[in-house]
Amino acid sequence: MRRIAILGNPNAGKSTLFNALTGLRQKVGNYPGVTVEKKTGLCDLPSGRRAEVVDLPGSYSLQPASPDEMIVRDVLLGLQDDTPPPDLIVFVVDATNLDRHLYLALQVIELGRPLVLVLNMMDAAAAQGLGIDVAALQRRLGVPVLGISAAKGEGLDALRAVMDRDVEPSTRHFREWPTHLQRVIDRLEQRLPRRAALPERARRDLAVALLLDHGEDDVLARRVSRDALEDAHMLSRRLDEFSPGWRGGDVAGRYEMIAALVAEAVSSPVGPRGDTRSEKIDRVLTHRIYGPVIFILLMGAVFQSVFAWAQPLMNLIDWAVGDAGRLIGHALPAGALRSLVVDGIIAGVGTTLTFVPQIAILFLFLSVLEDSGYMARAAFIMDRVMSRVGLSGRSFIPLLSSFACAIPGIMATRSIDNRRDRFTTIMIAPFMSCSARLPVYALLIGAFIPNRWVGFLTLPGITLFSMYFLGIVAAIVVAWALKRTVLKGGMPLYVMELPPYRRPAWRSVLTTVRERSLLFMQKAGTVILAISVVLWFLASYPKGGEAVRALEAQRTQAMAAGDSAQVAALDLRVAGANLQESFAGRAGRLIEPAIRPLGFDWRIGIGLITSLAAREVMVSTMATVFNIGNAGKDVQPLRRSLREAVDARTGQRAYTPLTGVSLMVFYVLACQCMSTLAVVRRETNSWRWPIFMLVMMNAMAWLASFAVYQGGRALGFGA
Amino acid sequence: MPADANGASRSLDELVAGERAVIASLECPPVIARRLMELGLIPGTAIELVRRAPLGDPIEIAVRGVHLWLRSSEARRIDVTPA
Repeated sequence: MRRIAILGNPNAGKSTLFNALTGLRQKVGNYPGVTVEKKTGLCDLPSGRRAEVVDLPGSYSLQPASPDEMIVRDVLLGLQDDTPPPDLIVFVVDATNLDRHLYLALQVIELGRPLVLVLNMMDAAAAQGLGIDVAALQRRLGVPVLGISAAKGEGLDALRAVMDRDVEPSTRHFREWPTHLQRVIDRLEQRLPRRAALPERARRDLAVALLLDHGEDDVLARRVSRDALEDAHMLSRRLDEFSPGWRGGDVAGRYEMIAALVAEAVSSPVGPRGDTRSEKIDRVLTHRIYGPVIFILLMGAVFQSVFAWAQPLMNLIDWAVGDAGRLIGHALPAGALRSLVVDGIIAGVGTTLTFVPQIAILFLFLSVLEDSGYMARAAFIMDRVMSRVGLSGRSFIPLLSSFACAIPGIMATRSIDNRRDRFTTIMIAPFMSCSARLPVYALLIGAFIPNRWVGFLTLPGITLFSMYFLGIVAAIVVAWALKRTVLKGGMPLYVMELPPYRRPAWRSVLTTVRERSLLFMQKAGTVILAISVVLWFLASYPKGGEAVRALEAQRTQAMAAGDSAQVAALDLRVAGANLQESFAGRAGRLIEPAIRPLGFDWRIGIGLITSLAAREVMVSTMATVFNIGNAGKDVQPLRRSLREAVDARTGQRAYTPLTGVSLMVFYVLACQCMSTLAVVRRETNSWRWPIFMLVMMNAMAWLASFAVYQGGRALGFGA
Repeated sequence: MPADANGASRSLDELVAGERAVIASLECPPVIARRLMELGLIPGTAIELVRRAPLGDPIEIAVRGVHLWLRSSEARRIDVTPA
């Protein structure tokens, strides 16, 4: 199969072209050992052959400044074992912006690999009155050049025909290193080992890469001998000392060459160049006053949609999964197998599926915002705020989304190009109070916080707001600490292109939505399902102790007497007794000494354990523990039970309002959501980060609740 | 710091919105300087400060037909002379 790589600057329309060529036959994975996403797809060629197309990350230069760009360089130099160099490079440039996009194109053409230069957005170029002499570009660059419009699907047949051909690589060299640098590069090239693993052609480029490397290139370090690496670092230190500015040595020359080329091949209309339409839009969207107002309204709309529009769909999925459970349940004999299938497997599938509407809706908005060009403006507007905690404007939208649910929020961190910022954002996203905490807050506030007016606010309202606020404060503290410890370093340069506004291609948007949803179901869904089955086991076994058998005997009597009210009440007590005697119930008692200082007893302990499935499960677990059952959606009886619960040892009230506050604080800070951990595992490509998250958040939660409960008691709020 | 004909030396950050200038030199660490050059900010190139973000930082610039934003802390290390 022919291997073809699509490459180009960010905003060149690479992904749109990739989607147009491969349609739905795509696969998303990770490059080994890094968090860079690898997208491949299949494309049919006119001869009937098939090509495997890989969509390389958008880059500005072969001298990498990010993990994404490093992957591109490694693939092109043949250093990436899982992705051999392509048979053909499809290099995509924005036809309206050749000055900029040809920079990387020239670097890649010089590598001497088969390449076709694709001028994308030819329709926009024509609309701006740009005349592009394709033949002249072809002549000067020595590679085939094609004009297309990926969004409109124009010129794709011609491109497929070229992709089918054997293309002669260009032999042109545009590089103009000054002579003294050229000598250093030659010398370094001599030192490189002549190993089969190192393609002959790439040796010179590797020498340049080594020379420009600034110490973070582990792939390079692994590929060459220690001697060669030390040599390179010694040479570049010497150059830094005696020839400052040498690192820019070839850049100016290339840009001069591009300017000459563009002057020859492109005729622009008289008058001001550039996209004046975008400039007009920006005068409003990044205006000092309208800009932030529109931004807040837009974010409000996005947030509201994820929060509210997803709800009916989630209810529908809940209902369908419940029905499926009942249907399959009837088909199976009562007993362990039925319970496993219905309460373990189907419930786990249901948990996974209920996240999908939120993910799909969020990514629908995000990809429209990204493809239209607004995302870069959002980062521009919010950068100042986020820079206070050491992040950039890019982190804002993932964090905002996390107020609906941390899972799509963490998935949205893909757009943060700085690795340290991205990991910091992932680690603080779960502190944003998500929609699954709301039922827990609602239960506890209703049970323990008196509905009193304080000024123009109510006490329950203030409490709820405080919980959201506490999460934000915790996130700021953790971001600050991470950026100064495990995630410090690097020399961050925050610079971002503001691309012209464009109408998003719907096909591309829908592909993204579909891809993110599927990815979540496949990668995180399997982990969620496994943990769900484990939790089911813990909450169901071992079965029936003495207490349960006694209750079941009573139930049989009541049944014989035809007392259906009594049967129902006993059913609830059986369920409660079963849960209390299960492993989860015992674990609740087991952890009681650890949570006693926070004001929690073993019953809350059971709730904390079953919360791992999803935080709102706490509500139904407590209902089972207190023998109330899930009688509709009314939580009033449960609130009463919580208020009136008695501590068997002291005979006094088990929970006070202070317990309620302490428990809410615990829910704000604790990492209880297995789905979040599964998605962090997938997005960081390691188990280290999710385990770190689990330990850190739960330690913080314990300490904060301890401070609240013990501090509150010392101040006399314990009654 | 380079000075222009009037003896005034300015950084990119000191331009007012809508003002044009020419890049004189990049006084940042070599790795960052190279990246900025690769993005088209080469000494001798015309540059415009288009606007400041609503909160005053970062700044939007136009260079070689492209709009970019970068932070004031970076812009302070880019010296410019009048166009």
